[in-house]
Amino acid sequence: MKISTKGRYGLRALIDLAMNSGEGCVSLSGISQRQDLSLNYLESIFASLKRAGIVIGIAGAQGGYVLAKPAEEITLRDIMTVLEGDMSVYDNLGERTSIRSFLNRNVWDVIDSSVDAVLTGTTLEDVLKDIEARHLSADCSEL
Amino acid sequence: MKLSTKSRYALEGMLYLAVFGNEKLLSIKELSSGIQVSAAYMEQIFFSLKKAGLVSTIRGAKGGFVLNQPEDEITVGKIIRAMEGNMVPVECVSSLSACKSKVRSSCISRNVWVRISAAISDTADSLTLRELKEKYIAENGGRS
Repeated sequence: MKISTKGRYGLRALIDLAMNSGEGCVSLSGISQRQDLSLNYLESIFASLKRAGIVIGIAGAQGGYVLAKPAEEITLRDIMTVLEGDMSVYDNLGERTSIRSFLNRNVWDVIDSSVDAVLTGTTLEDVLKDIEARHLSADCSEL
Repeated sequence: MKLSTKSRYALEGMLYLAVFGNEKLLSIKELSSGIQVSAAYMEQIFFSLKKAGLVSTIRGAKGGFVLNQPEDEITVGKIIRAMEGNMVPVECVSSLSACKSKVRSSCISRNVWVRISAAISDTADSLTLRELKEKYIAENGGRS
């Protein structure tokens, strides 16, 4: 039950973009340096995010990417659907026995909805605020 | 983010054992035909469940498997962990040192995985075999 490399790197890169987009667009080489991710890989991830309407690419010497919508309008579900596809914990193996269809409904679907509640209930803005709050508490602990 | 089929068959096998294993002990053969997987695969799965202390075997002509813990202490979470080792969607959730990134100590995405992981384990740890058995019997009677 693991999130793919694309899902892990893609979310990290997109959070980095959101954190650094105060002064216009963010270059992939900047994300690559800050996040220790390969530029090639970022290019392919951002092509998917662009196609899905999560980011917009800006051409030119000072080009890069910006979020296509405000961070509070992008949920984790929007992001993970692009990066991971279906986030369900199970594939439908065919309901050959009543035990299996019972467990699909009473266990696996229940786990899926608990994950979905986090994904739909958390926006990119929430993630940024959470990072800021943790930085603040880390700063305070150094005083 | 898929569970292995091993975990799914393990839960199916455990529920089957809880529902149908009271009158008589069930063998691998009976469990595998009830779940409709090969006996070799079922044997592998029950070996892991036994190693995790969730089932035990009784030898003899009428031998077979029994649950080794009270039904309300066997949770879906315990069964998944017995099969997968852990239940985290990204390794860093259980061990930050599993991440090889240079920036792991200031990772900006780990907390998202921690939250998703908590949602999964809170749900899986709250579902007990007793509850599932009672609900299954209420819905299906004694049919598999």
